[in-house]
Amino acid sequence: MSDLESRYLRLVRLFYPAGYRDERGTEIVDTYLALSSPGRQWPSVADVSDLAGGGLRRRLRVVGATGIGPGLRLAAILALTTATGLAGAWITLELNPWTTSWFRSEQDGLSLTPGLGMWSAWLLTAVAYAVAPGRWTRLAIGLALALTIAVVPLAAVVNQFRPPLYMLVAQAGLGVVALAVPRRGPGWLRLAPLGGGAAALPIAATYAYNSRDVDYGYFGWPAGQVLPAAGIALLVVTLLVGVRPAARRDLRGAWALLVLLGPIGMLWLHPLAEELAVSLYGGGPNVDRTTLTTAAAVVSATAVAIVVPVVLLARRRALLHAHASAGGRPARDGLSAGR
Amino acid sequence: METPLREPTFLILTALAAEPLHGYGLIHEVARLSDDRVSLRPGTLYGALDRLLDAGLVTVEREEVVDSRLRRYYRLTEHGGELLADETERMRRNVEAATARLTARTRPRLPRLSGETA
Repeated sequence: MSDLESRYLRLVRLFYPAGYRDERGTEIVDTYLALSSPGRQWPSVADVSDLAGGGLRRRLRVVGATGIGPGLRLAAILALTTATGLAGAWITLELNPWTTSWFRSEQDGLSLTPGLGMWSAWLLTAVAYAVAPGRWTRLAIGLALALTIAVVPLAAVVNQFRPPLYMLVAQAGLGVVALAVPRRGPGWLRLAPLGGGAAALPIAATYAYNSRDVDYGYFGWPAGQVLPAAGIALLVVTLLVGVRPAARRDLRGAWALLVLLGPIGMLWLHPLAEELAVSLYGGGPNVDRTTLTTAAAVVSATAVAIVVPVVLLARRRALLHAHASAGGRPARDGLSAGR
Repeated sequence: METPLREPTFLILTALAAEPLHGYGLIHEVARLSDDRVSLRPGTLYGALDRLLDAGLVTVEREEVVDSRLRRYYRLTEHGGELLADETERMRRNVEAATARLTARTRPRLPRLSGETA
């Protein structure tokens, strides 16, 4: 056995479920070997990504989550549109030309802040999706995600203000889901994230102009109303988009909603942390890192507590269906199929 | 299986419509049919084949061992052939409609005669 063959086999063992790799593993590896150029020693990055994707899809099929692919793609488009819409709003606040100088450091022309760079990167993902969906878009989203994480240490190093953590966490949650954007799609759909970003600009500009004498910046409305409202809008749009396919037993909307549960919860992080602060400390709704971390843990645990039973239920139904299709008679209580 | 078919699925069924093929042959045939636009990788190909097998559109024709390597040949089932024919007919109608509209759009318009000639 060559080094290349054993490396491909190792990858198949890593990514695919046991039963499947016994049945198909050799065939997949043999096809890779037939396609590989002479002298090749290592699988390419694209091969690793292909095997990881194939293994993930297989595992999802095993748990009966076959509709998750279209659901994930739908969730990704909605998440990217929300993320770019928010970026359009926040970049206006970063640029805010109406800021009264005595409420923050005097602006002398365009101030290059870490936040400005990060939100610009998110708006670029919308442009990338409109002109080059696929690898370039995922690369742009990956870059924006990396900047969203890097902005925390970067702002500390250059000693500048940065967007608050609850905003970064919400944006990162949306960004992770957005990585699954489809490679192809109708033109109007590819313009949705760009439209989201463009639509947010005049709304945020109006807010910034009207609050020029008090300058809440990222706090006040953005924290208390805009992010939670974006969460509700995302929830409602996902439900509305999912209703029509559901009428023909296509559950992509339901899967999209499950995928988006975590990010939607993260958009509610600040109000939740405020409630926790009141409960824990008994004083005012003063958010700190402890309350934010606790709120994030509560959101994550709730999302997992909802998603895991649904996936297990889907698996049980898939097993029952497979049992019935194979000619076996499903048990009356449906439990024997899962044994 | 959901229709309209996605392009890689359509091309896999089209490739198998001519003759049974194994994985490597299928990848080459799909690339040839699409003028190298669609390049399937094995992980993607076998995922698609699993779905087509489950839907009864494709079946395993035979298995061979060549140079101590397993080759599994796949062929289109009757149901797969019918679905491919329906899908091709649907696409043909769309192409005809689009072609007719585009032809009408690009046809030079005759100048309209209006007003008095004197």
